Amino acid sequence: MSKPILIVGGGPAGLAAAHALGSIGQKTVLVEKADRLGGAPILTGYAKLVPSGQWAKDAIGGMVARVEANPAVTVRKSAIVKTFSGQPGAFTATLSDGAIIEASAAILTTGFTHFDSVNKPEWGFGTFPDVVTTSQVEQMISSGRGVRCPSDGRKPKRVAILLCVGSRDRQIGREWCSKICCTVSANMAMEIREELPDCHVYIYYMDIRTFGLYESDYYWKSQEEFKVKYIKARIAEVTSDGKQLIVKGEDTLVKRPITIPFDMVVHAIGMDPNVDNMTLSAVFGVDLHRHGYIARKDAYGAMGATSRTGVFVAGAAAGPETIDDSIAQAHAAAMSALAAGRNQILQAAE
Amino acid sequence: MPIHEKSLIRPENLRTHEKLTIDGVDVSGHWSTFIESRVITDYNEALEAEIAALPGGENIHRCWQCGSCTNSCTVNAIEPRFNPRYWIYLIRMGLESELLRDKDIIWQCVSCHKCTYACPRDVVPEGVMKATAHWLEMKGHTATSPSMHFDREFTEQVVARGRIEDVEVLRGFFKRTRQPLMQDWLVEIAWRIAKRLPVKWGLKSAFSLLRKPRTRGWAKARRAIEDYIHAQEEEHEKALHIGKPQSRPRAANENAPVSRPSAAE
Repeated sequence: MSKPILIVGGGPAGLAAAHALGSIGQKTVLVEKADRLGGAPILTGYAKLVPSGQWAKDAIGGMVARVEANPAVTVRKSAIVKTFSGQPGAFTATLSDGAIIEASAAILTTGFTHFDSVNKPEWGFGTFPDVVTTSQVEQMISSGRGVRCPSDGRKPKRVAILLCVGSRDRQIGREWCSKICCTVSANMAMEIREELPDCHVYIYYMDIRTFGLYESDYYWKSQEEFKVKYIKARIAEVTSDGKQLIVKGEDTLVKRPITIPFDMVVHAIGMDPNVDNMTLSAVFGVDLHRHGYIARKDAYGAMGATSRTGVFVAGAAAGPETIDDSIAQAHAAAMSALAAGRNQILQAAE
Repeated sequence: MPIHEKSLIRPENLRTHEKLTIDGVDVSGHWSTFIESRVITDYNEALEAEIAALPGGENIHRCWQCGSCTNSCTVNAIEPRFNPRYWIYLIRMGLESELLRDKDIIWQCVSCHKCTYACPRDVVPEGVMKATAHWLEMKGHTATSPSMHFDREFTEQVVARGRIEDVEVLRGFFKRTRQPLMQDWLVEIAWRIAKRLPVKWGLKSAFSLLRKPRTRGWAKARRAIEDYIHAQEEEHEKALHIGKPQSRPRAANENAPVSRPSAAE
């Protein structure tokens, strides 16, 4: 129990792992690349989280405060792991700030990178100021400024949310479903309708994947209580007539091409593998999934195991993930790491 | 000229010209065939709210297009163009011109309610069909249907007197629908009744026709019912943005006063 467990990444999963281990007195070192903890919800500035409805700064902020106040957790911000060697129970990591950490095990909670919409130029992001991403709308809401068209600050009368931007698209090498965008978009549509009751919100979808309990709380609720409209169409291009944005595509349910004006177009951007994953893979000696996420060893052995014994993974580092499940996975990985540090590797059930 | 994707082209959107010159170039013959655009350029955002404001249409916004209604539909089985799922979509998205193409089919719903029980979201498609038929009529897109004529005649008599007279309902219905009273089947019925010499029934009918008896103490109920019907009609017209002056066109022979209090009372 003497050596600490190394946790890489201070987002929801890393914070949860640090808290879980700290709460039983296990020392941890939490290394964070950015200058503050919180991960994507805090660094990007999310508004209200699904499904709690709490503001990100309160919910994740509370997790940050809890970890920073825990004497068993050593937080090292603005630092990255440069080298990592040894074996379970006796790893050595050197950080970019020169620190050398002796660790019994490591948990990678390095998260994801938001898809950059510039990679889908036909949908107008970067060309037209009123084409924005879900991250930007989250910021508009969380900052208190409200949902406004960036071009002139007006309140949009009509908003289109395009789903699967950077997901389920072989053209740009993203063959995965980012899992959370449908629910986040339904939630966002309700938030827009709440703030701007005269604004019509249309969601252009291929499928709606508001899995589990999100079905009624987000998809159904957005339709039934907030009159959000869902149109089955994959948009071909977003252009402009100089005044408004023009969304072109095919409404597949009526087999008719559409050319519809909108004030604002929102890209529901997906979750890319963290841009640093190649580096992480080399430093920690862990294999990557063929889509670039950190690969899990198996589903039924030590929870969160990677290809390297004693190194574990949790949250969106291993694939698109919700905040809740990232936290749950972090707790599972914390348990695995604790056992690995004592050289008690959990084996897969026979 | 071969046209690809011909199934997507509606005959009425094909424009051909015997002789046509564009910018000094003679494009007569094959080159003068043009197809009008079928691109949807806007949504009529008021349409869904209008249908939802009419009885039966309240839950239309719940629909997620699974097609259970159309799959279970009695009418669809014999008339493939009868597609509630499709019309609900058109209404929700405000594709009004598309909807109007089917105005002469929509009223054919037989209200069997199989869709009501099939629908996973409780949209009540049968109600939506009713509301849509109602909407089409109120907006003047379709003529008053025979069944609606019958309902009105029936209702107006009930409201006025608290009861109906069979013969009068029949007469009123024929008058409203401009049908001759002398119809073979009706003559046959009358003849068969007459053969039995139903003196008592005949006298009773004649008395009722002349005296128009009311249910005792009906005046109070009548006023309450009339107020309610009036309020409902006003509400629906308001929801559909129909101004009072061009209020629902009533047939010329539709003279029974539903809402005017009678002087006789």
